[in-house]
Amino acid sequence: MITFDLRLTRQNFNLNVEGEIGRGITAVFGPSGAGKSTLLSALSGSTRPDHGSIKLNDDVLFSSEDNTWLAPERRRIGVVYQDGALFPHLSVRKNIEFGYKLTPAGEQKFQPDQLISLLGLSQLVERKPGQLSGGERQRVAIARAIAASPKILLLDEPLASLDVARKMSILDYLKQIHEKFELPMIYVSHSISEVVNLADTVIRMRDGEITGTTTSVELLLGNVPVETDIEKYSNQFEAKIVDSSGDLGLVEVDGVKISTPRLKGETGDTVILGIGANQLIVSLGKPERMSARNVLPGDIKNVSTENGRAYVEVDAGPKLLVELTENAVNDLDLNVGMPVHLVFKSSNVEVYLEK
Amino acid sequence: MTSEATIIFLSLRIAALAMLIAIPSGMILAWLLARKEFRGKFLLDTLVSLPLAVPPVVVGYFLLWSIGGNSWIGKVWESLFGGNLAFTWLAASLAAAVVALPLIVRSFAAALQGVDPQLETAARVLGAGPWRTFFTITLPLAYRGVLAGVLLGFVRALSEFGATIVVAGNIPGSTQGIPSAIFTRLSTGDTGTAWRLAFVSIAIGVAALLIHNYLLNRARESNTTSSENTR
Repeated sequence: MITFDLRLTRQNFNLNVEGEIGRGITAVFGPSGAGKSTLLSALSGSTRPDHGSIKLNDDVLFSSEDNTWLAPERRRIGVVYQDGALFPHLSVRKNIEFGYKLTPAGEQKFQPDQLISLLGLSQLVERKPGQLSGGERQRVAIARAIAASPKILLLDEPLASLDVARKMSILDYLKQIHEKFELPMIYVSHSISEVVNLADTVIRMRDGEITGTTTSVELLLGNVPVETDIEKYSNQFEAKIVDSSGDLGLVEVDGVKISTPRLKGETGDTVILGIGANQLIVSLGKPERMSARNVLPGDIKNVSTENGRAYVEVDAGPKLLVELTENAVNDLDLNVGMPVHLVFKSSNVEVYLEK
Repeated sequence: MTSEATIIFLSLRIAALAMLIAIPSGMILAWLLARKEFRGKFLLDTLVSLPLAVPPVVVGYFLLWSIGGNSWIGKVWESLFGGNLAFTWLAASLAAAVVALPLIVRSFAAALQGVDPQLETAARVLGAGPWRTFFTITLPLAYRGVLAGVLLGFVRALSEFGATIVVAGNIPGSTQGIPSAIFTRLSTGDTGTAWRLAFVSIAIGVAALLIHNYLLNRARESNTTSSENTR
């Protein structure tokens, strides 16, 4: 359990946050510049706030009142940085053992070898960080942080520079680690898909303040205002699994069937899907003989433009937002009330959460 | 007349002690300049570089004023060890250290700036104190630039003449290094010895600069490859 009450002023940025983070995986979610990373660096001891206090379990890490400030090396808080921050002159094994060797023998909870095999790094231990891929580097960074036996693990956008497949595999590792070691985690991200796949609780931040605490499911279903602009147009909705036996899944939402990537759940289970607004194609006639698996008929409900992009809202059972260029809207002469077909590939459907 | 070997050996000894003084103080100054923000940083930067900008004779005169028999340092020295600090080979080392310091600080600061501060943060969070972080992360990553700075400082210390002659004099066997020995030989018409000593100076200088440039190139290469890899 970590409790904090922090105020910090920099040239054009104010951080003013108060909260309590428990045993599970907590996501800190918000747009860039919200103060997420500053919060983490205050918790880990790399940035000293102007006022307030931080307590980890019963230890006072910071208190401006009695002028307490515990140096980072005395906090036992692990951090995984965005690009790993691996020591380039040390091998993978030496990186992982760095913090382990500095931990008092009686407090070494996790063995480097155990972490190396758990994170699939056995083949890489002799390599230098420069010889690793982005995903490998982050796995080493995670192993290195945990080998120092932290009381809590902070992850600062650890997957931001990775592609989707690597992200998913590392999220799986993190879930495994959390379950196996019962290690509380705070996960900072501006990506909704990462947040909902991992975290139970979501702390939302904007402009240096905490704007609310919700569950990831509520966040995903749009029941709370979402703070990022990028994810606003990702068309998320709940659906029921119709068929999860094949290489492609089939789900139903509002009477419409949608083909998805392979699903893990059972028929009748609820899943949450997302389709990027820019992944949808608008067709005026019904397209035939196409490779894309999903062709949904619908009517245009609204057409708007914003920053040179056009947004077309289509009621196709689920209401879907389509992002187009203004030229495309003008060429097709798209207007409210027109019948259209929406076309998208099953691989463009993201499955966020299988309940 | 002292032999050429004695002169060269004395020069090396003076420069070596100068490095023992200039390396730790240069590292502290470079670290302050490269890693810290504080009031008066600009002033400190200027002060450190000043010996590059004023005639070495002026540096020597200032040193003589600070450590001479009438200064408090000179008096403390005399009460502790007896005798004068000025006009000893220690004073020659001090002069060499002060003129070499700007080159050392600048090289060290550039080397430290090449190390990503986030790596130091990561080491601290993993449990390493500031000293351990410096010696296990910062220094190994900056060592080529640091070594290049030491070499540059060392050859500058070896070639020191102006400040040395003011604060330490030109005493054969005690403070007469290669440059002042060449000066003396030239004024007494012993051009043969002067030429040989000049050749030794050039040989040391060329060797040091070759190694210096090689180290800096390697440091630059390893910096570009490691930053490419983090993209």
